[in-house]
Amino acid sequence: MLEKLIELSLKYKVLVLVLFMTISAFGFKAYQEIPVDAFPDITPKQVVIYTESPGNSAEDIEKLITYPIESAVSGMAGVKLIMSNSIFGLSYVSIFFEDSMDIYFLRQLVSERMATVDIPRGWGKPQLGPNTTGLGQVFWYEVKDSTGKYTLREIREMQEYIVTPLLKSVSGVEEVISWGGQEKQYNVLIDTKKLQNFDVTYADIIQALQSSNQAAGGQYLEFNSEQYLIRGAGLYKTLDDIRNTVIKSSVAQSITIGDVAVVAPGSAPRFGAVSIDGEEAVMGMVLQRTATNAAKVVENIKAKLQTVNSTLPDGVSIETIYDRTEITHKAVNTMTSALISGIILVAIVLFLFLFELRSAFIVILSLPLSLLIAFLLMDYYELSANLMSLSGLAIAVGMIVDGTIVIVENSFRKLHDEPDAPKVEVVAAAAKEVATPVTYAVLIIAAVFIPLLSLDGLAGKLYSPMALNIVFVMLGSLLVALVLVPVLVLLLLKPTSSSENVVMKKIKKVYTPLLIFALSNAKKVLIAVSIIFVALAYVLTQQGREFMPSFNEESIMYRVIAIPGTALTQSVVTAQMVEKHILKTYPDEVSSVLSMIGRSEKGETAQGNYMEVLLTLKPGIKDLEALTQEMNEELEHKFTHVAFIPTQPIAMRIEELLEGVKAELAVKIYGDDQKVLDAIAQEIQSTLASVDGLERMEVESQLGQAQIKITPDYLALARYGISVDEVMDVIRNGIGEEPVSEKIEGIRRFGIVAKIKDAKKDIESIKKVTLRSKSGALVTLDQICTVKIQQGAAFIKRENLSRYMVLSMEVEGRDVASFVAEADRLIKTKVNMPTGYYIGWAGDFKNMKEATEKLMLIIPITILIVILLLYTVFNSLGKAMIILLNVPFGFIGGIIALVVSGIYLSVSAIVGFLAIFAIAILNGIVLVSFIDELRVKFPNVSLKTLLKDATLLRLRPVLMTAFTTLFGILPLLFASGVGSEIQYPLSVVITGGIISSTFLTLLILPSTYLLFYEKEHKC
Amino acid sequence: MNKLLLASLILASSLLATEIPISKVSLHKFNKSVALNAQIIQLSNAQQSVTSLVAGHLEKYYVKPAQKVKEGQRVALIESIVVSKMSADYLALKKQLQATDKNYKSVKKLYEKGMTSMQELNNQEIKRSKINAQLTALESQLSTLGIKAEKLKSATANFVLYAHSAGTVSALLQPLHSSINVSEPVINLVKNQAYYIKSFLPLEYATKVKVGDKIVVKYETKDIVTHVTQILPKIDTTTQRVVVLSSVDEKVENFFINTYLKSTVYFGEESTHLAVKKSALSFFNNEWVVFVPNEEEHEEESGEEGHEEHEEGSEHGEHHEEHEAPYTLAVVKIIAEDENFVAVLGLQEGQEYVSAKSYYVKSMILKGALGEHGH
Repeated sequence: MLEKLIELSLKYKVLVLVLFMTISAFGFKAYQEIPVDAFPDITPKQVVIYTESPGNSAEDIEKLITYPIESAVSGMAGVKLIMSNSIFGLSYVSIFFEDSMDIYFLRQLVSERMATVDIPRGWGKPQLGPNTTGLGQVFWYEVKDSTGKYTLREIREMQEYIVTPLLKSVSGVEEVISWGGQEKQYNVLIDTKKLQNFDVTYADIIQALQSSNQAAGGQYLEFNSEQYLIRGAGLYKTLDDIRNTVIKSSVAQSITIGDVAVVAPGSAPRFGAVSIDGEEAVMGMVLQRTATNAAKVVENIKAKLQTVNSTLPDGVSIETIYDRTEITHKAVNTMTSALISGIILVAIVLFLFLFELRSAFIVILSLPLSLLIAFLLMDYYELSANLMSLSGLAIAVGMIVDGTIVIVENSFRKLHDEPDAPKVEVVAAAAKEVATPVTYAVLIIAAVFIPLLSLDGLAGKLYSPMALNIVFVMLGSLLVALVLVPVLVLLLLKPTSSSENVVMKKIKKVYTPLLIFALSNAKKVLIAVSIIFVALAYVLTQQGREFMPSFNEESIMYRVIAIPGTALTQSVVTAQMVEKHILKTYPDEVSSVLSMIGRSEKGETAQGNYMEVLLTLKPGIKDLEALTQEMNEELEHKFTHVAFIPTQPIAMRIEELLEGVKAELAVKIYGDDQKVLDAIAQEIQSTLASVDGLERMEVESQLGQAQIKITPDYLALARYGISVDEVMDVIRNGIGEEPVSEKIEGIRRFGIVAKIKDAKKDIESIKKVTLRSKSGALVTLDQICTVKIQQGAAFIKRENLSRYMVLSMEVEGRDVASFVAEADRLIKTKVNMPTGYYIGWAGDFKNMKEATEKLMLIIPITILIVILLLYTVFNSLGKAMIILLNVPFGFIGGIIALVVSGIYLSVSAIVGFLAIFAIAILNGIVLVSFIDELRVKFPNVSLKTLLKDATLLRLRPVLMTAFTTLFGILPLLFASGVGSEIQYPLSVVITGGIISSTFLTLLILPSTYLLFYEKEHKC
Repeated sequence: MNKLLLASLILASSLLATEIPISKVSLHKFNKSVALNAQIIQLSNAQQSVTSLVAGHLEKYYVKPAQKVKEGQRVALIESIVVSKMSADYLALKKQLQATDKNYKSVKKLYEKGMTSMQELNNQEIKRSKINAQLTALESQLSTLGIKAEKLKSATANFVLYAHSAGTVSALLQPLHSSINVSEPVINLVKNQAYYIKSFLPLEYATKVKVGDKIVVKYETKDIVTHVTQILPKIDTTTQRVVVLSSVDEKVENFFINTYLKSTVYFGEESTHLAVKKSALSFFNNEWVVFVPNEEEHEEESGEEGHEEHEEGSEHGEHHEEHEAPYTLAVVKIIAEDENFVAVLGLQEGQEYVSAKSYYVKSMILKGALGEHGH
């Protein structure tokens, strides 16, 4: 089949050229259109349901909102995990689905289920979270007033009603989130003492406000053949309309709102604030819709900003705070420059080795062509150009040319050997000769990277684009090698004498005695190398591990956490102190500090004690790492009342996306009653305290939130003739400031709040809030209710419909698995677990265990596939094994490089080892197939001599493929831009691996071959 | 003690960006008050009688029926043996005091010369003090009757009655030259202003209010002080509250009857408790707590101060951080409170406590238990 393909392409050479030109054109178009992003989309398939329930406590929200939602969505198809968090004023349920499901279909299913959920009146309405990715916050801006004329409330109003609608209309924007400032509302400040004066009740006032603010349509009438529409326009227009609202009327006159209350604009209670450089500010965050191009969306937004700025009043403008494309461009630039310098280096290496312009041109031409084919495939499979996918290309650059090199080299040799034969036939024969090994080599490379595609979770999402791209580009290179290269060889190559260049001669001079030594001491050398490998393999198991090297985003950000229950106002004070301190201490490094405090009003679960502080750095900072370190210590030391956790904008979102627990090892205790959970946690703590290897154990604190609990006293209520409903209305609307109606001003809507004057001055004033019963009795809240101050939950987290508590542990000096086995047995035998309570192990350990188990299954299968492929090429199991034996030799260099440079074993490093696996096998194939060829040609030469000659003859192609791969990867090793650190371990491992693999292939492989086939050959 | 305070201040400022103020638990007077709804009313029998404080003989009326009087205008003259005796006694005692004073001084001189005993001097001193005390008592009694003792030249029996509010004389109750008993009304006045404040008092306070307690109402911008004259025996059935009447004695312009306003009742009793500032309170583990400096820490610190006074503040700061917590918490029970102070049980007088910014101290203590995620 391959031979037919080569024949056909040589026959229709013009067609082939046209075909590749077309492919290039489309590839280039794809290259320009591919979405660009810093990272692959790592968001799990997740639907979030949030329910804003203003003023309500975590406990009540869990009972009345979270649980009904959870039970409605449980049992849906494809649900992997349901997690929820009930906090003050918000229920947050997040459902994780199998990654294969379609997000729009899932959202549809979830909304259908939502319709069945019954939530009590006045407790909020469940809403689906924005359809965005985890890294969807692509653009942050400040609505800045440089005149100082406008209040925060007015700026917030501009943000919400001028900026947001304009930005929302930009294609690809899912949502615009407003944060900071104050939201306007109209306060109807009721003096409860006046209720007696005018003989009205609180309920009367609410009733009056609600029933007055109305509009109605009166259909139409016909007059003189024309239609006149009838319109009742009763909506509030001015504040006086509210003041003049009639509450009740007696004989001759009416009692109006103005009689019992003061009506004035005010600010709604808030859950979040934003502060920039010590001043409160208003900001907006633009969320990108799932599966859109971040760079494109930001570009569109920026284009729209002009319109926005011209619509805003003079002196008010949009200032960019954070622009995702900056980091994206930096990351993509790092990778593209690595890719380009890789291509150039490979070209130089090729030219040096081939020392012939025409063949070098063909080989080098195959590089961009293969890449363009890869871009075409990326576009087709909707893969974005990002750090990971581009690095896949960068890794593969050196391997792309391998197939072409082999075909060009063979043709070159054949043309030289048979100058009189027709050129077409020679080229066809040369190409056909190597077509099978080349194809299988490419297939093997693809097979080697398949285990990456099977990885679950974050690792899978990060590294599968890389693996896919390697496969894409290798397939592209195969297509180029088999179809285009023979045509180009036919058209361009001329039979010339190949002169050995000086470099090759020198290499051979050193190499020959080494090879002779290795062949003469085959057994000893093999044993020695095996011992080295085993020793190094042991060293590798002792190497530190990490999931992923941290990604340097060239920015400094902190998560600042104060104690639970901290008031928002206090957090604003803290944030501003931090901002001012940073600006004062680092005037040369920091230009601006932004703090986001609490949460924006769109279903985030941060509370008033949580702040995110982002620093805008001045350009030209030399040692960012040292600065970060110094700043961390400085801040920790200066502000002892809060915790500082250094992070970076993207890293922080990734941390938030990780499902489950961050600790190395953790026990989750599931059950209903917080107190029982506490008790069990304590019991487990004391049971495990003496277990060998336990370094530290910590309970996730459920530090409480102080609450003022108002419990109705039914007897007292009966005495005065007041219903619980009335009391709760007073608490919800009068104290809690839930709007009772809305004042509509064009498109703007502002809540009308029947607020009780001075109710929230202090704790005592809550008790003294006065109610008036219908019969006229005046009672204070503490007369009809028990008002108690108590500690309640700050948040309630649940997983799969059950509350849980996390006990995180650190194990040292002992294998985690055996520790878990012992601890699990101890807990099961010694800890008293009441009915309905159970435990589960979680943490990195579990993830690692699952990943390892998966890899334990997939790696043998991969090896088996590789063996099968090798077996198909050579038709011999022995040779397949010889080539496979080459792999550990490659690992030797990789391990040494890893250990010497002190890098942890991460997924990135593991990818490096996979690449070595592929390279080692490629080296092996090239050599073994040539040895076989020579053995057929010269059956009478002794195997040792044959091996020596074959290896020496094959030295150039082996070195060439090795050097191209090495130089292809070198730019990654020396890259220093954003994102380079993620690929650093990988390039270290590959560099080490290529060197050892090539060197040892050239020495050990002939020796192994000798050991395997010495007897057979003699026979 | 000063050193101790200094040490604690250095300690606080070195640990926190914010200074933690320290105060001492002290006694504080709690004047109970409660805000109420009130209404201006006018009562029909706004009669007031001027009564005599002493028994005596009515000598003269300075006013006639239907005559308008001002507040403080004299209305009648009473001749009283009691007053005459008191004033005579006063004058006699005054003379006695002068004599004893002289005596004392000469004995003192003798004593200084060693010519008399210490006991003699003491005897003279006791005598003098005794007379002095009697004199002071008489002086105050006379003063309540409106007689200025220091101006008395000779004994007098005259006691003048004054009108205690502006109004019109409605009746002269006693015939001239008749004898009058203590607290017997002499003249009836109809007040110019017959305004009362009707305050609606929740039942729980009804037993605490007494006739004469102060009720302050705010009318327009003015604070009007009134005093409880009557607590109505029946509860107001609509509002379910006890009604308290207090008379408005001062003249108020544009006082509209039936106006509702806010009144504040001050209960007569004043209680004194150990108190801390309200800003010191923090709620922790279902209890109110106040943070107090860690005693042991301090003693150690002050000792160190003595030895190493040359050390720099910053070095101290570093040293302190090695210690566990510079503050501990004291659980308190709140028994009374006013605007700025709370009376607490659980602390001792003079004990130091964190009087404000308790949030920072609490944060320091709890910080260790914070999770990484925060939400």
